[in-house]
Amino acid sequence: MKFALFVGCKIPSRLPAYEISTRAVLGRLGVSLVDLDFTCCGYPARNISRDAFVLAAARNLALAERAGLDVLTPCKCCFGNLRHAIRFLGEDEALRSRVEKALATEGLAWSGHTEVHHLLPLLARKVGIDKVTASVRLPQTGMRVAAQYGCHALRPSNVTRFDNPMAPTIFEKLIRATGAVAINWPRRLDCCGDPLHEANGPLSERITLAKLADARQSGATTICTACPHCHLRMDAVLAGSTSASAETGTEIKTLLYPQLLGLAMGLAPEALGM
Amino acid sequence: MTPALFRIALYGSLAICLLGLLWRVSTWFHLRVGPDACNVTVFQRLITAVRGAVSVTFSRGLVHVLRAFFVDVVFQNRLFAREKLRWLGHQLILTGFTGLVLVHALASVLAGKLSPGYQPTLDPYMFLRNLAGVMVFVGIAMVFAGRRRQQTGFPQSRRPIDAIFVALLGTILVSGFLLEAHKIASPRAFYRMTDQFIGTTDPEELKPLRALWASEFGVAFDDMGDGIEPAVIAEGRELHGDACASCHAKPTSAFISYTAAKVLAPLSGALDEARADTWLLYLHLFACFIGLALLPFSRFFHAVADPVSLLVNGAAREREFSSAGRASRRALALDACVHCGLCDSSCSVGPLARHLGNPALLPSHKIVATGAHARRRLLSHGIGPDALLVSEGAFQCTDCGRCTTRCPVGLDLADLWEAGRGDLAIAGLPAPSQWVQARSAFAWAESLDSRSTPDAPSAPLASDRRTFSHCVQCQTCTNVCPVVAHSIDTEHGVDLTPQKVMNLLRLGMLDLTLGSRMVWDCATCYQCQENCPEGVRVTDVMCELRGLAYHRLGSVRNPGGPS
Amino acid sequence: MTHTRQDTFDVAVIGAGMAGMAAALFAAERGLSCIQIGNGGGILFASGLLDLMSIHPLAERRKWGFPFDALAALALEQPQHPLARIDATSVRTAFNAFVAALGKAGLPYAPLGKANSDVLTSIGTIKPTYGVPRSMIAGVKALAQRPPCLFVDFHGLREFSARQIVSTLGDSWPAARFQRLQFPGTEAVPELYAAHLARALENVETRARTIDLVKPLLGDAQAIGFPALLGLEHSVEVHAAFEAGLGLPVFEIPTMPTSVPGLRLLMALEAAVATRGVSRRHHSTVDSIVFDDETATIGLIDSPGGERVVARTVVLATGRFMGRGLVADRGHVSESIIGLPVHQPTSRNEWHQRDFLDPTGHAINRAGLLIDDSWRPLDAAGNPAWPHLFAVGSILAHQDWMRSKCGSGLAIATAWAAVRQITRQLYGDCDKAGEP
Repeated sequence: MKFALFVGCKIPSRLPAYEISTRAVLGRLGVSLVDLDFTCCGYPARNISRDAFVLAAARNLALAERAGLDVLTPCKCCFGNLRHAIRFLGEDEALRSRVEKALATEGLAWSGHTEVHHLLPLLARKVGIDKVTASVRLPQTGMRVAAQYGCHALRPSNVTRFDNPMAPTIFEKLIRATGAVAINWPRRLDCCGDPLHEANGPLSERITLAKLADARQSGATTICTACPHCHLRMDAVLAGSTSASAETGTEIKTLLYPQLLGLAMGLAPEALGM
Repeated sequence: MTPALFRIALYGSLAICLLGLLWRVSTWFHLRVGPDACNVTVFQRLITAVRGAVSVTFSRGLVHVLRAFFVDVVFQNRLFAREKLRWLGHQLILTGFTGLVLVHALASVLAGKLSPGYQPTLDPYMFLRNLAGVMVFVGIAMVFAGRRRQQTGFPQSRRPIDAIFVALLGTILVSGFLLEAHKIASPRAFYRMTDQFIGTTDPEELKPLRALWASEFGVAFDDMGDGIEPAVIAEGRELHGDACASCHAKPTSAFISYTAAKVLAPLSGALDEARADTWLLYLHLFACFIGLALLPFSRFFHAVADPVSLLVNGAAREREFSSAGRASRRALALDACVHCGLCDSSCSVGPLARHLGNPALLPSHKIVATGAHARRRLLSHGIGPDALLVSEGAFQCTDCGRCTTRCPVGLDLADLWEAGRGDLAIAGLPAPSQWVQARSAFAWAESLDSRSTPDAPSAPLASDRRTFSHCVQCQTCTNVCPVVAHSIDTEHGVDLTPQKVMNLLRLGMLDLTLGSRMVWDCATCYQCQENCPEGVRVTDVMCELRGLAYHRLGSVRNPGGPS
Repeated sequence: MTHTRQDTFDVAVIGAGMAGMAAALFAAERGLSCIQIGNGGGILFASGLLDLMSIHPLAERRKWGFPFDALAALALEQPQHPLARIDATSVRTAFNAFVAALGKAGLPYAPLGKANSDVLTSIGTIKPTYGVPRSMIAGVKALAQRPPCLFVDFHGLREFSARQIVSTLGDSWPAARFQRLQFPGTEAVPELYAAHLARALENVETRARTIDLVKPLLGDAQAIGFPALLGLEHSVEVHAAFEAGLGLPVFEIPTMPTSVPGLRLLMALEAAVATRGVSRRHHSTVDSIVFDDETATIGLIDSPGGERVVARTVVLATGRFMGRGLVADRGHVSESIIGLPVHQPTSRNEWHQRDFLDPTGHAINRAGLLIDDSWRPLDAAGNPAWPHLFAVGSILAHQDWMRSKCGSGLAIATAWAAVRQITRQLYGDCDKAGEP
C-alpha cells in the first residue's frame, strides 16, 4: 500500500509529532508514504472565494493523480476539504471547466481519479482492524480513552464517507485494538471549538470546556485525537485556562491516535515524537 | 580628478553611508512590529540588545555565535542546504565583491601597506581584479537565473532605489573594465608614462619600446608599420626592463580587460581624443561614491543586516527572547530579508495567491507590507485598496511555517506574520470575522444601497431557491447547533439561529443574513446539515454567505476596495 | 469516479424513517447483511410515544383502550389495511423486539402490556398510546390518579409551557400547579432550546444546580412534570438523578416537535442499527434501481463520485409525501424512485373531502402502493413488480395512520413482516442465524 502523504499546514509547524508518529506506525504496518509538492488544501479560502478554494484543493489532487497515488492525510480538516472539493467539482460543470483551465496553466490536470483517505478509516478498513490488533505488543490496558471524532471528517457523511455520522464506531474499534478502554461520552461527536476560535474566542472556549468536562465526567483519562486542529485546541484550553483545570481537573491529557498505537506496538516514545 | 574633488566626494559619500547605516541600525530599536512591541521603549530595547551581546560574549553562547559566523554567515549553510546554484552565485558575488573592495578599492590603505611592491598594473593584482569582476558578473547571472526558475506568477516587489543600486553596481563593473581596457590600448597613456619615466614622448626615440608594447602589451598605436624586426623588439625589451617592468606586468593576465582592449583597439585613437580615460574614471568613481552613499538605503543593506541577524540567531539558540528582544528582532528581520523569493516558491497558499490574484499572500510581499506598515506608509492615506489586499494576504496565511523553514537567512517569519496580523487588527484591518461582527446584521443590511443578488458561480446554493424550498422550519438545525447552545447572551453570542438564517434566505432576504453573527460564528461542524430532515445544505450555505458577505460588505466598508 | 461495492448485501433498505429503521434493525437481528440509505430526519418529528392503534373506524372516531382489540376489529372490517395482514402475535413480537433494541441503545421503554396508556401532550391534552418511554411513565400514573403535582418550565423555552398545561387541565386536575424557573447560566439568553438544555443537564454540575432550584418548590407535590429535556444520550442517568435528588417520581412531557424525545429516538435507532453492523448512507439520494434476476443495483448520487450498491432484495420504506416516497403533481400521485403504480383516487376532485377536518380523513391519505401477501408492491397488471422488491410503512395504501394513531405500529409491524418474508425467501424458512 502506497499513498501520497498530505500533512497540510498545521502539522509541520505546530504538531510535528503527529507526522512523526503517523510515519512510524504506518511504516510498521507496511504502508509506504510518498511526499509530493503539496500546498494548502484550500480551507482558508472557503470563506472568501469558492473558486479559489476548489482550485487550491484541485491542484493537490492533480499532483497526486500525476504521481498515480491516492492521498492520505492525518488532518481531518484537510480531509474534509479535499472531499468537499471533489464533490463540488462533481456537481458543478462550470466550476470544473474553470478549474481545469486554471490547472492547465500549471501544466496540471485532474480527471477525477484521486481518492482521499483519512488516517483512521485507512487503518480500520484498508489496513484492517485485525492487522492493527496483531501489531500490538504492549496492550495499553488501564488507559481509559475518549475518542474525539472531529467534525470535518465525520460530517457531512455523504461527502466524507468516514463512518456512520450518528453512531460512528471506527475510532473506538481502533482504540480497543490497542488494548485501551474506549469510553462512551455524550459529546464525542461535538465540535472541538477550533474553527470559531478566531471569530469568537470566548464562545469557542466554552465549547471546548464543555467537551473536556464531559470527557472527565465520563471517566476518561485521555482524549484521543486524530486531527491537529482538535488536538491543538484542546491542548491550548487545557494548558491555558485556569477555569479549564478547575472544571475538568488536571488529570485529562490528549494523545494522538498514532502515538497511542505506537506505544501499543512497543515503539519508543521518542520515535513517536513524545 | 583633482584630489580635492575626490576627497569631497569620497568623504561626502562615506558620511552619508555612515549616517545612513546609523539610521538603519537605529530602526532596529525603534520600529514597532506587533502589538507587544508597543509595550517596550527604545531604551529597553537598546539595553536588552547590549546586555544580550555582553552576556553572550562572556558565556558558552559565544561558541554558538562563532559557529553561526563561520557556518551561517561565511559559508551560508542555510542557502547551501536549499539552493546550490544560488548559493554558488551568492558566494561568487560575495567573494568577488569583497576581493574588489580589499584588493582594488582599498588598495592604497590595505594592499599598498601590506605588500610594499603593490602596483595595480602588476600581477597577481591585475589578474585578481579581473577574476573578482568576473565572479561578480557570473554570480549575478546565477542569482537571476535561480530566481527565474521559481516564478510565482507575480513580480517581486521592488523599489526604484534597488534598481538604481543594481544599475550602479553594473556601471562600476563595466566602467572599471572599460577603463582598464582603454588604458591598455591607449597610446596617449603610453606617452604620458614615457614622458614621466623616460623623459621623452618622441615616437622615433621610443620605437623599440613601442614595438614591444604594441606586440606584447596591447597598445594600439595607429602609426606602427608592419614587419617589426625581432631585434627592435629585443631592444625595446631592454628599455622596458629598465624603465617599465617594475610597475607593469603583461596585461594578458587582465584577461577580460585585455580582450576588451583588443576589441576596442581600432577606436583607441578616437577614445584618446575624447579623453575617455578621464570620464570613464569619473564614471567609475562617482558610481562607487553614489553606490556607497545609497547602500544603507537600498535593500543591499542586507549585507549588513544579514550577518547581524544570523549571529543573533546563533546567540539565541539557548534562550527565549523577551518582548523587547522580539521587537528588535522583528525590525531587524525587515532589513535582513534578501528578497530572494525562496519563501514564495514554497508558500503553501501560493496557489491561492494566484487564484485570488493577490500577491500580498506571498511572504516576500508580506514582509514588504509589514515594513511599510511599521514605517507608517501602508495607511498613510487611510485604508486603500492596497491595504485591503495586504489584510487579505495576512489573514489567508495558514501559519504552515514553510517560509520560516526555508528562509536562507533564518528569519522567524512566522513570528513576524503573527505580529503583523496583530498590527493590522489594531489599525482597522482585522480578519473578516472580526470586522463583519463589529456591526450588527441589521446595520450591515441598512448600509447596503441595493439588494444583493448572489451569482451562481460564487454561490450556487444561496442563489438557487430550491436549496431552501424543502425547509419546513422544524428547528432541527438550531437544536443541534453547538454555537447556539453555547451562546450565553445576544451581544456576544448568536443573533439569528441557523433556522432563521435559512428562513430569511427562503424569503429572499439575503442582505439580513450577510452580517449575521450566526454566519460568522458558525463552527462549520456540519451538525445542522447532517441532521436536517429535509437535506438542506445548511453549512454549505453558511460558507457561501461568508464569501458573499466578504465581498459585498467589504465594498460598503471600503468603497473602491477589492470586491 | 464510480465505486462499485464488491459486497452484495442481503437487503438494501431505502428510507430511514420509523419503518426503514425498523426494517434495517430486524434484518440485522435476523443475521441478514444490510445497507440502509437515507437520513433519519423524519423521526425527529416523533414524540417518542409509540402508537399501535387507537382509533377505528375513523368515521366513528372510536377510541380503543386495548390496541389489539382494535387490530382484531380492523382485520374484520378493513382487510386491505396493511396492519390487517399481520397476526397479533407477530405485532407483539415486533414491538417487543423494537423496544428491547431501544432499551439496549439507552432509551428504555415501560414494559408493553395489553392496554394503551394515556399521556399528557405538550399543550395539556391527553393522548392514548401504546409504547411509553420510561422517563414518561410516572406521568401516566400521575394522570390516572391526579395527586398534587408540580409542572416545571423554563424562562425562554418557547417549546413548552407548564402554565398552558395546567390551564388546559383546569378543574380536571385541581392539585396541579406550575412554576417557571431560570435555567442555570441562561440569564442573558432570550430564547432557549430544549435540545441544548437536555445536553446541558448531562453535565453533573448543571444538573445539580437545576435540582437545587426545584427542591424548594416541591411543597406537597407527589410528582413533578418536566418538559422532555432530562438528558439526551444519557437520559436514563439524568432522569434517575432527578428522581433521587428530588425524592419524588419525575416524569417528562413531550415538547412541541421537533423535540428531545424525537432526537433521542433517532439517536437510539441509529446506534441500534450501527451496532448491529448495518451499513448506512445518510443524505444519499437514490438515482436509479436496476433489477436483474438475482439482484438489484442501486445508484446513489450526492456524494463525491457517486456509488453503486448491490443487494439481493430491496425494501422500499420511503414514506408518503413528507418522506417523498410519493410525489404529487397537479393531478396525479406517483412513486418517486421506481415509478411504481400508486393506488389513488381517479381524479384530483376526489383527493380531499369538502371539510378539511372531516374525521373520516381524505382519500389522498389512503393512497399508496398495493402489495401482495409477501409485501411486494404490485405492477399495473396486479403482479409483483419485482420478486425481490418489498415495501413497508406509510407508503402502503389503504391506511391513514395519522388519524388512526397507528404510525409506529404500521412501521414496526410491516417492517417485521416484510423482513420475515425476505429471510424466508433468501434462506428458507428460518433465520439466517439458524433460529426458527
